[in-house]
Amino acid sequence: MNVTYNWLKEFVDFDVTSDELASLLTMLGLEVESMVKLGDGLDDVVVALVEEKRQHPNADKLSLCRVNNGKEVLDVVCGAQNFSQGDTVALAQIGAILPGDFKIKRSKIRGEESCGMLCSDKELGLAEESAGIIVLPPGIATLGTPVFTALGLKDTLFEIGLTPNRSDCLSVIGIARDIAAKLGLKMKFPHSTLVECSERTDSVISVTIKNPDLCPRYAARYISGCKVAPSPEWLVKRLNSIGIRSINNVVDVTNLVMMELGQPLHAFDCLRLSGKQIVVRTAEEGEQFTTLDNQLRTLNSTDLVICDAERPVALAGIMGGLNSEIESTTTTILLESAFFKPAAIRKTAKRLGLHTESSHRFERGIDIDSVTRALDRAATLIVELAGGLLSHGCIDAYPGRSDRAAILFRPEKANELIGINLERVAIIDILTRLECQVSQCADGSVSVVPPHYRIDIEREIDLIEEVARLNGYDQIPATMPIARVISDRPTRHQEIEKKVRDLLVNNGMTEIINFSFTAPESVRKLLLSVDDPRHTAIKLANPLIDEQSVMRTTLLPGLLETTARNMNFRSLDLKLFEIRRVYLPGKGEDMPCEPLCIVGAITGTRDGDGWSRPNELVDFFDAKGVVETVLDFLDVGGISWVTENQESYYHPGKSCKIFAGRECVGSVGELHPSVQKNFEIEKPVFCFELDFEKLVKLSRTKKTITAPSRFPDSTRDVAMLIPEELAAAKIIDCIRAEKSNEIEHVQIFDVYRGKGVPDGYKSIAVRIRYRSFERTLAEEEIASLHNKIITNLTNKLKITVR
Amino acid sequence: MREQLEQLRNGALQAISKASSVEQLQDIRISLLGRKGELTALMKGLGSLSAEDRPIVGQLVNTVRDEIESALGAAIESAHEKFIAARLQSERIDISLPGRRPLKGTKHPVSLVIEEICSIFAGLGFAVAEGPEIEHDWYNFEALNFPPEHPARDMQDTFFVENNMLLRTHTSPVQIRTMLKQKPPVRIIAPGTVYRCDSDATHSPMFHQIEGLMVDSKVTFGDLKGILTVFTNQLFGQKTGVRLRPSYFPFTEPSAEVDIACVICGGKGCRVCKNSGWLEILGAGMVDPEVYRHVQYDAENISGFAFGMGIERIAMLKYGISDMRLLFENDVRFLRQF
Repeated sequence: MNVTYNWLKEFVDFDVTSDELASLLTMLGLEVESMVKLGDGLDDVVVALVEEKRQHPNADKLSLCRVNNGKEVLDVVCGAQNFSQGDTVALAQIGAILPGDFKIKRSKIRGEESCGMLCSDKELGLAEESAGIIVLPPGIATLGTPVFTALGLKDTLFEIGLTPNRSDCLSVIGIARDIAAKLGLKMKFPHSTLVECSERTDSVISVTIKNPDLCPRYAARYISGCKVAPSPEWLVKRLNSIGIRSINNVVDVTNLVMMELGQPLHAFDCLRLSGKQIVVRTAEEGEQFTTLDNQLRTLNSTDLVICDAERPVALAGIMGGLNSEIESTTTTILLESAFFKPAAIRKTAKRLGLHTESSHRFERGIDIDSVTRALDRAATLIVELAGGLLSHGCIDAYPGRSDRAAILFRPEKANELIGINLERVAIIDILTRLECQVSQCADGSVSVVPPHYRIDIEREIDLIEEVARLNGYDQIPATMPIARVISDRPTRHQEIEKKVRDLLVNNGMTEIINFSFTAPESVRKLLLSVDDPRHTAIKLANPLIDEQSVMRTTLLPGLLETTARNMNFRSLDLKLFEIRRVYLPGKGEDMPCEPLCIVGAITGTRDGDGWSRPNELVDFFDAKGVVETVLDFLDVGGISWVTENQESYYHPGKSCKIFAGRECVGSVGELHPSVQKNFEIEKPVFCFELDFEKLVKLSRTKKTITAPSRFPDSTRDVAMLIPEELAAAKIIDCIRAEKSNEIEHVQIFDVYRGKGVPDGYKSIAVRIRYRSFERTLAEEEIASLHNKIITNLTNKLKITVR
Repeated sequence: MREQLEQLRNGALQAISKASSVEQLQDIRISLLGRKGELTALMKGLGSLSAEDRPIVGQLVNTVRDEIESALGAAIESAHEKFIAARLQSERIDISLPGRRPLKGTKHPVSLVIEEICSIFAGLGFAVAEGPEIEHDWYNFEALNFPPEHPARDMQDTFFVENNMLLRTHTSPVQIRTMLKQKPPVRIIAPGTVYRCDSDATHSPMFHQIEGLMVDSKVTFGDLKGILTVFTNQLFGQKTGVRLRPSYFPFTEPSAEVDIACVICGGKGCRVCKNSGWLEILGAGMVDPEVYRHVQYDAENISGFAFGMGIERIAMLKYGISDMRLLFENDVRFLRQF
């Protein structure tokens, strides 16, 4: 809502500067989003008198003037012809900066000194074009007065961001009322001196409301013999000042009154109305109608229309019809001022995508009380500006008349909830200033009837808010609550999520966050089988773009897209992870599931480019290492790495699923070359996926700690040849199967293929550390245990010791 | 024998003084005092001496051995010192070369801000609550006093999904879910992902919010002001000015917009605060009785406040980020700075 300082001042005579007013409005909840000071910085353009004017000696089209600015007489060279000696003019003095950053300097024009410039409307930003300089009425103000002050053009435009509850402030009067209430001032109202002729309005036109539930009030007036013409300058300027374009005197008046009083009005060309009658009804299903903007609209049975005897002539509260529009030849006017139910207007406007100043107000609710006041004000102005005869009386069909219910209000409750301690009289004074009718009840409570225009005030809490607002939020002391102690620590789920995030970050991984919605085809790039449930995504009904139209069922596509994007920017060493929800459709009427998942991608060199180490490329085991760290940290037991039924998006020879007991908790592997290509990634990427929800369930929180042995250790290395297809893990398992307390640690420390190792075999070197908790082990004990282990390996796994 | 010993002693002492390394000295020790050493051999010869001579010569042998040993010891120590000095003299590295360190990992700024805010509120006794992102209209709107067809719904452009559900437009439905599960006192903070159909430099169709809710027997609007002052001072620094001004949310009354003194210009007025000196960072208010009605709380005997803020907005202010889209492009050159 745009409003100016001067316009507000016509309604309430406040004595504050525009800056103070802006802050006052903001602190009343009418947020001033921007403020433009008209004529600001133009104080050096002053009223001056041309005492002498003669021809410039060196230029035909220029004149030399001696100009009096009240303090001194200056020489000014001027190129305009439309003034003479003795005229009062606008002088831009040296130092003035005109719109367009045009700075006035002392200069010599064709050899003659000029100490300023005589200005035109255009040069002061007051008009698009001007024929010559401004000639002011003689004696308009003392010489030296700033021109903007003299012309009464000094003003400030406020752009106010209104909250949807304050529909009353979609008008100058509404904002002025809040200022008056805050400052304790009286309101002034614009005049409406009706001059009516003897012809009765209800003898010329008639109004019938078929749907009083949707239109509780409809008032109309009739003006004949008027003349549509351009509006006078004051009206054009006033509308321009808040950004409304002038159309003609009749339409401009309806707009002016709407801005002043918040009541949308509509003027029909009455001669184009069939039967000079108005019928308010709902449209017929499929009924067609062309609105003012020349658009053919198809209506349905919930749309409210204003009709004449035959057809719709306006879409109620939204827009008039082309068939009854005011034209330059119009002489007879039917002026409408009505109240339509907000929900009905909103529904129609939304469906048709038709948002107008009028619908904006009706949707939010207008003051049903001001229907006839606005009508009278507009009629008065139209007769003043366009002439014509105003018929006697107004038609006021008001089937929905009702009084506002009184609200029970307890002043002490207001103090208690706000946390202030206002006197009872002070609270009642606030409500009275807001034009509420306040009467005191015997039990100490108060009965309050709010004014019609404050449709947002319905309950005691609404009145409490008004007390807090008018008294000022800055008057409320900041206190700490007196609260009961509650013990609430983060849930296990929240705690583990944070710890896993910390762990991954501490392992050099960078967290990413991708959008929860994705393109429908992104999951297809993973080459999943047709019946994979990850194809079934929840779709958005109204996506902004197709790339964000389905809720993701896996985090992988986002991760891989991020990987590709970073690689395009030459960030080639990447360790990325994401912990976010995926969205899976619920069964039947069930809510969708939103389980948390973890994904990671690793690519490039192991430790970034460095001076001291060869740039080793990461591989499967870097990804597996991160997974092992997480599983170890969460103490998930019974882990196995399974190569059956691998995920389609991995390299089949370099990937596996991860099981904890019988539960599949994730997967790890090198990205399948085709998937890599689908995501336009040029280098190998190693990924992992973990089902966070399952891990939370399987994580063992209780740890058992054993004291370390105090006896010396003894280590034995054994190198062996094993067939390629035998998993190294089997060797470890086999050694561990010898459930001896003396085996402290088993570690694979070398895997070798090449010279000395036959084809189809690999050499594995294992280091076993023996140590007892009870004594220093004797050489023979160790030898016997070690031999037993080697015998087991040889017998069970057919290894050959090298 | 005596002469032999004298010769051995002189020869040994000479060899020791000539030796230049620990290794040479060790060799001398072995050649004299080792199992097959010269002195050892002499000592073995003692047995062939007469009973009278044996103690005298024996003592002499011991004296010579002690002399040689102490000379050897001193020489070895001095050789060792020289060796260390020479080593320290010769070994030099270029300490200006970069250190060897693992690749640095970072949390996403949104996670960082959520963690920081949650920890501030944990200190004030607020527990973390969560809720679904795909919500029913009832939790997202109706229970929060947004009736169907209400203009307030325009403030939040909603994404809809099948089965009459929607993507939550704010974290406020978590208030409803919490109050339906639990009786007062309630003190929660609810971080989460929210969605609105809006996309430009300052709006993202997906973003994050943190919701706060406190309901107890005598909570006042002044208490809301107190809690938010403590919070903003902890997040943005002590003495950050805080301003509450009237606003409107369907689920709170009285409602407030909360501004902090601009963290960029300190309140003097700059481009970021549009010359107002204030930055809007959160919305808040006393829980509307209509909300209590929906969760079957007795509005007459309890009171409480709720507040909500955008995480991205706070991250942008804290880190001086001007375009919200940077937060979701996941460029590691951006992310690794956190």
